This record gives sequence, structure tokens and C-alpha cells, in this order.
Amino acid sequence: MKLYIKAISSYRSDKDESNLKQVLKQQYKVDVRRKDDFIYAGLYGALRLQEKVSIERDNELYLTSGFGNLNILAKMHKYMIENKEPIKLFDFINMLGNTTSFYVASMLGIKAKTLFQISDNFTFFHTLIMIYASLQKSKNEAILGTIDIVSENEEVLKRIAGIEEKTSLVSAVHYQKISLNPKDALCVLEFDTKFYTLEEVKKIIENTNLHVRFSSRCQALHKEGKPYFETDVVEVIYNAIQNNEQTLYVECYGQRYKLLYQFQL
Amino acid sequence: MANILHTHFISALGDKEQTLDAIKKKHFHMDRKSVRAIEGEVSVPYYTFKEEVQDTLNGIYSVMKKIVHQSIKGLTSEQKAQTAIIVGSSIIDWNVIDAIESSNYAYKRKAFSSLKRSMDSYAKDLSDEFGLNGFTLTINTACTSSANAILEASNLIDSGLYPYVVVVGLEVFSVNMSSGFYAMQLLSSSSIKPFDTQRDGTILGEGVVALLLGNEQTPWRVLGGFSNCNGVNITSVSEEGDEFVEVMEKALMMTQIDKENITALKTHATGTLSNDISEMNAIRKIFTKDIVFTALKPYIGHTVGACGALEIAIFMGCVDDGFIPQTLNHENAISSEYRPLLEHLACNKGTFMFNYFGFGANNTSLILQKESL
Repeated sequence: MKLYIKAISSYRSDKDESNLKQVLKQQYKVDVRRKDDFIYAGLYGALRLQEKVSIERDNELYLTSGFGNLNILAKMHKYMIENKEPIKLFDFINMLGNTTSFYVASMLGIKAKTLFQISDNFTFFHTLIMIYASLQKSKNEAILGTIDIVSENEEVLKRIAGIEEKTSLVSAVHYQKISLNPKDALCVLEFDTKFYTLEEVKKIIENTNLHVRFSSRCQALHKEGKPYFETDVVEVIYNAIQNNEQTLYVECYGQRYKLLYQFQL
Repeated sequence: MANILHTHFISALGDKEQTLDAIKKKHFHMDRKSVRAIEGEVSVPYYTFKEEVQDTLNGIYSVMKKIVHQSIKGLTSEQKAQTAIIVGSSIIDWNVIDAIESSNYAYKRKAFSSLKRSMDSYAKDLSDEFGLNGFTLTINTACTSSANAILEASNLIDSGLYPYVVVVGLEVFSVNMSSGFYAMQLLSSSSIKPFDTQRDGTILGEGVVALLLGNEQTPWRVLGGFSNCNGVNITSVSEEGDEFVEVMEKALMMTQIDKENITALKTHATGTLSNDISEMNAIRKIFTKDIVFTALKPYIGHTVGACGALEIAIFMGCVDDGFIPQTLNHENAISSEYRPLLEHLACNKGTFMFNYFGFGANNTSLILQKESL
């Protein structure tokens, strides 16, 4: 399968220390009331993409994340379970997965398919496969946002992510405009539905001339110790575009591996 | 073309057989649950499973495993190894709650795990348990979650990527979800009364359902549909229902079905003040007054993330049994010319539209067709 990237935006909290709520309010004049950090991140990333490319009413919108909005659940858990207080209306609204996608779609003027989804093992890869299948039928283009926010209590994220306590965390948001059509594309992503074994991946790596990049989960292949966020594959794509590199990205989950080829056009 | 090969489910009326039998007899059964409101603990009507399913990781997984097993037991090992799974649900991610409690309370502290968990972990665990192919996804778009899962599953099959996809719809009682609906003043104190002038809200319910979709020939085909995000705000669309009109018309267009060829419409019909009037206005703009339409929520409650797949599975079961179920609790129509079915209607085949209009302005219309047996 091939999907073409028309534009891409990148935000990482360790490289850009902006207060997203303030930036949204002052620079972009976005109504920030009744929203939270996860939604701010989703909106900010989308606006950064919109500065680079036109977004159409019929573009499909897909938002994915390693874990979703952790802070709202922690907040609600504290006052509902610990303090036995009633639910707060806008916390309930912000807890629902597609609240963020509604705000993003509304802001971008998208009136097409809008999904919020997570895939435990390969959230970016499986979303790409789904987008490919959908665009085959709809003939539209897609906006794909990946949102990973560090929980206020970092231990919560480390526990659910299954990563070591000493790992440093960053929040990151990336958006891409994706198409089946290569016209005006920055690069092409090539991928398949197959899961690879470690041995298969090792052989492929030995025989490639591409820059090979690894997910922080691929400890059996590469121990880099980079800051963690679940959807770091998108930043690899972003950096490869900036550096004009052809890249092979290796993701793994348990004993299963997936490969993503990224070629500049 | 994606076909529906098997369905299996449980609802407040019991297992598949019990549910279909109760609907045929026009029965329904409600219990009560407590929600947490400003005025304190409040008891509200609720469609609860006959056998309680604990709102815990293990409780939810056990019931999903049972239902998914029933839906795929006819597949060979080789076929299972080519089967993807997509879950549609709006339930709280208990993996996160577990991590929160482990982090915040010394007495609940567990050792760190190297296992990543998320709301998709049920799907991953099911995939591993049954030897499926490892493609998993969990869609969380509130009331349209599992309807969207069916649409995505049909895309995956139609594009030739996977020959089989299991779609799972999941909803069990959650204090948070029910309290949220109560806080939004969406819950009825008595019954769901679709398209009725006396309607005063919806009643939530539990449901777990699995649909096995595949490219093998069966009587039931998913022709396709359309989904969008379009509303005046996060909780509603316009009273005129133009947003619903768009999604229904595009579903017809995508499937190349003329509206005159729709045998019947399964409405979303939550029984809330705003949703029902918008849906009724949309129906009036698309169909003539002869359109056959019905609502299933009075039988099983509003099963939120599960309702997309569950209401399709129930509707299929009824048509396979030779009828379209009547709409319960309807007396005074909000539109005198457009009334839902007031008696079961004989029907064993046709082309059917299924509406799902959810929170977050997420709207989905699917079209299925059943050929003669």
C-alpha cells in the first residue's frame, strides 16, 4: 500500500515550550473555554497543519493516540471515586473520545468522516491501513492527527505504556494530510498488513540502504534512550522530510514487528 | 462486497435467542441503577443484563470473549489467522483507571509492567486468544462507535486487505457514563418514547455484540454507508435535521440505492427531545410518508457504543424470523403523517437503512441488503 503525504506539522513539548492554551487564545483566537490540555494539543497541531496546506470540507479526519486523554480520567476519578462528588458536565464531555475530534473538525471546517480510535499494538500503522481502505472507496483525502500528552502524574503514563520508570516523557502532536494521489506530495509511505519476526527484520535491515529508525519499543534491535511518546513514528517521518532522507521505520510490540518505508519525492 | 456471516449478542433481554423471542412478543425489561448527581445518589431506569457483568477489566473481557467465540467458532484456524477485529465502544478505559490507582494510592500499588495497555487491549487480547491476525482497532465515537466499526470493517474487506473482520460493540453499566447523561438532562424517568410528543429522554442499556463480516456469500450484505461530523454544537444538530439529511443522502449515493428502494428504516430514535425531532424532520425531507420506519431502543435501551452493531444484529434476526419489529411506547406522533411501525410488519428480505446520530455531532447511516433465503 502507498499513501502520499501532502503536508505535515510537528509539535513536541521539549522543543516548543509554548503554553498551548495561551497560544490558541491569543494567536489563533480560538475559544479555549471548557476544554483541556488534550484538546488544546489537538487543536494546536491541526492549526499548524492548516498553515501549510488547504483543508477541505470533505477531508476525512482521523485522530489517534497511544492512550487518549489520561488527565481527564485522573481528574474525574479523584473527585468521583475518592471524594464521592457528582460528575461535572464538561469533564464528562471532555472524557469522551470524539470530543477532541469534534472540536478539531469544527475548527478546520471538516464535515466528513471523523473518527477517534486507538490500536493497542500499532496505533499509527493500523490507522494508516484503515485510511488506505477508506480512501480507496471515498476518493477523498485524509487528515491524520496523532496526539500523545504526558499525564500530570507521569507515573500513570509510564505504567500504562509499560515503559521503565526512568524513561523521560514528552508530549507530542503531529498532523498529516494524506492522499492516494502523488500530486504535490512531499513523500510516500509504503507499508503492508504483514507482521514481521525479529529475524526477518534483521535480514531486511542488513540489506537496506535506507536510514533505519526504530521505535523506542524495539529494544531487541536498538537501545537509543530517546524521550518517549507512543506515536513517535510521525516525528521520524517529519524529520526525514526535513532532512531529505529515505527512511525505514521499525515498530514492534512484543514479538511482532511492522515496517514503514518513507521515500522522498 | 462485505457480507455479514454471523451475529451473536447479549442484551438486557438475554442472549440472542431470548432477545429475539422477547422482541417478537413485544416484551422489554428495565431495572434501575444509581447515578451520582448534584442532588446526591439518584435512581434512574436502566436496561441491565440479566446476569450481571462487572464493570471491570476481567468482567468486561469475559463477556466479550464469550460473544466473540460464538461469532467466529465456524472459522478454521487458517481463516481466523486472516481475521481482523474492530471494537466500537464508549466505555471508560479501565487500564487507565488501574494505572491511576496504582500511581495514586499506596494500598493499590502494583509492580510496574512492561506491557502496554489501552482501551484497545480488549481487542488485542481477543486477537491473541483466538489466533486472529493481530489487526486490532477500537473506535470511540460515542453512539456511532460500532456503526463506524462496521463501515470501516466493510472498507477493509472491500479493499481486499482482510477476508474477515469481527466487529464488536460493547457497552456495560458505567457510573460515569450514566451520571454524564443524567447531568446533560438526557435521561427519561419512565420509558423511551420514540417520536412521541410525550417523550422525555432516553434510557441507557447494556449490550455486547459481535458481527463476523467476510467476503463469503450470505443473504446479508453491507452495501456501505456514510459517516460525518456535522452539528450546530457538540451535543446536537439543527432542529431542521439537515445534518442528518446529508448523511442519509450520502449513504444512498455511496451505495447507489434509490430512496424509493429502501424497504425500511431503523431509526436512531433515542427518545430525547432534540434528537427525535431532528431525525423526524430529516426523514420527512428524504422519504414520502409511506416509508416504513421503526425504533429498537424501547426494547433494549440506548446501548451507546454498542447500539450500532447490536441494533443491526437484532434487526437482522427479526427479518430472518419474518418480521420488522414495531416501535414500542409510541402513542402521540410528533408528525401525524409519519408514524413509526405500530405493529410488527411481515418482511423477510429487502434493503434497509440504519441511522445512528451521536454525541460529538458524529452521524452515520448504513445500508444493508438481505436477499431471499
